[in-house]
Amino acid sequence: MLSLALGLGIFVSIFVGFNIGGSSTGIAWGPAVGAGLIRKTTAAAVMTFFVFLGGWTVGRNVMDTLSGEIITIPITLEAGVAVLFFIGLGILLANIFGVPVPTSMTTVGAIAGLGLATGTLNFRTIGWIVSWWLVTPIIGFWIGAFVGRYLYPELNRRFAIETSEGPLVSVSREGLKPSFGLGPNTTSREFFSTVLVLLIGFYMSFSAGASNVPNAVAPLVSGGAIETNTAIIIATVAIGFGGFTIARRTMESVGSELSDIPLLAALIVMITASTITTALSAMGIPISLVMATVMTIVGLGWGRATRPIAARQLIRGETDAEISMGALTAETEERPEIGETEPDAVLKAGRLFNARATAKYISMWIIGPTVSLVLAYVFFLVLPGLV
Amino acid sequence: MIESVLVPLDESEMASRALRHALESYPDASVTVLHVVGEPSSMMGQATGLALADDLEAEAEKYAADTLDKAREIAAEYDQEIETTVGIGHPARAILNRAGDFDIVVMGTHGGSFSDRLLVGNVAERVFRRSPVPVTLIR
Repeated sequence: MLSLALGLGIFVSIFVGFNIGGSSTGIAWGPAVGAGLIRKTTAAAVMTFFVFLGGWTVGRNVMDTLSGEIITIPITLEAGVAVLFFIGLGILLANIFGVPVPTSMTTVGAIAGLGLATGTLNFRTIGWIVSWWLVTPIIGFWIGAFVGRYLYPELNRRFAIETSEGPLVSVSREGLKPSFGLGPNTTSREFFSTVLVLLIGFYMSFSAGASNVPNAVAPLVSGGAIETNTAIIIATVAIGFGGFTIARRTMESVGSELSDIPLLAALIVMITASTITTALSAMGIPISLVMATVMTIVGLGWGRATRPIAARQLIRGETDAEISMGALTAETEERPEIGETEPDAVLKAGRLFNARATAKYISMWIIGPTVSLVLAYVFFLVLPGLV
Repeated sequence: MIESVLVPLDESEMASRALRHALESYPDASVTVLHVVGEPSSMMGQATGLALADDLEAEAEKYAADTLDKAREIAAEYDQEIETTVGIGHPARAILNRAGDFDIVVMGTHGGSFSDRLLVGNVAERVFRRSPVPVTLIR
C-alpha cells in the first residue's frame, strides 16, 4: 500500500534525482555534445544506462553508508521525507546562486543534521567522510596542476582532437553482410579520438551513478520504506528524466564552462574526476562528482598559468619578460619547452588565477551542506516526534 | 578638457548605456572600450581555457570579439570610431591597471548576476574607490 508519506517521499526523491540528472548529465556529456560528437537525446539515453550500472554496482557501498552508517538508528519514513526535503532545498538554493551543486555533501549534511538533533550521529563515520572531503579537492587540484604544468603541451601535440564533415562511420549494405567503414572524411585518428571521448563519457556517467544514485533515495531505504533495488531503479528513472529535460539547459550552462576548455583538457578532467569519484564511492564515501571536476579544472588551469619560465633564459637575458616577484617565485625549474611561449603571456596568465577570487567561488560549495545541516538540525530539534 | 575616455564593457545593458553616455558627452575625445575575459567563475572554465591556450592574447581576443563588435556598432550609430582593448582576470584589477592612462572612466554601476556580484564584488564600486582618475557611474 502506498501511504501518503511514502508517496510524498518518492515525489521528493524524484525531484532530487531530477536535479542530479540535470547537473551531472551536463558535466558528463557537455563536452561531447559541445564538440558535436553526440546528440543531446542520445547523451541522455546513454547517461541513464550508465547511471543505472554505476548505482547498481559501486553505488551500493555509498547507499550503505548513507542509509545505515552516518546515524546509529534507521531513518523513519517521516524523517526520511524531511531529510530528502532538505536535500532538495539545498540543491534548489545552490541552483539559484548559480553554483555547481555538491549533492553528496548536501545529503550527508541533512542526515548529519538529523543525527545531531537526535544525538545519534556516528562521529567516527562522519569524521572519516569529512576528512576525505578535505583531501579529495587537494588530490584533484594537484593531479590537475601536475598535468597542466608538465604534461599538457606534450599531450596536446600528440592527441589533437579533430572532427570532420560527414558521418563518422559509413555502412555499406552491398554484400550479404553489411560492412562498416570510416565516413568519407574521417581519419583513423578522428575515429579513435571520438571513440575515446565517448568511452570517457560512459565512465563519467558510471561514476555519476555510483556517487549520486544513493543521494536521491538513501533516506527512504534506511527505514526499509523501499527496498534497495527498487530505490536504485526509482533514482535512475528520476536522473534519466532530468537528463532528458533540464540537462538540455545545463549542457549549455555547466557544460559551457567545460566547453570553454579545450576538449583534450576536458577529457583529462573527466578521467581524473571520474576515477576519484568511483574509487571513493567504492570505499563507501559519499563524494561530489562536481567537486572533483571543478578542483581538477582549477588545478589544470593554475598549473598551466603559473608554469615556470626557464631559469637559464632569464639569467642570460634571452627573454624580455618583465621580471616581477610573482615570476621569480613561480619559476623554480628548467623547462626547455617553455621558451616556445611568450614569457609575457605567462606573466599575464598568472592573473587568471587570483587565489582569493577562486577560493571565494569554491567556498560557495559549503552553502549546500551547511544549509541542509542547519535546517535538518533545527527541524528535528523542534519536531522530535518524527524520528 | 577630457581627451581620453575608458569605458569598461561587459554584456550588460547598463554597460552599453555607459558607452552611449561616453560617446554623447565626450564627442571629441578618444573613447577606448575595455572588455575583460577569463574572470573567476564557478567552474573557472573560461580562465582555464585561456590558461591552456597556446596563444593567450589571440584566445582572449576571440572570447571578447562579440562584445567588442557590439561596442563598435553602438559607436557607429554616433559616427564615432573607438579603440578596443582586452583585459584578463579579475575585472576591477584589469580596469584599474589601465585607468591611469585615461582622463576619465565611464562605466555602468553593475553587471552580472546576483551571485557574481556577491562573489566578485561590485566592480564599479571598487573602481570608483581606487581609480586615480575621475569615474562616472551610469545607472
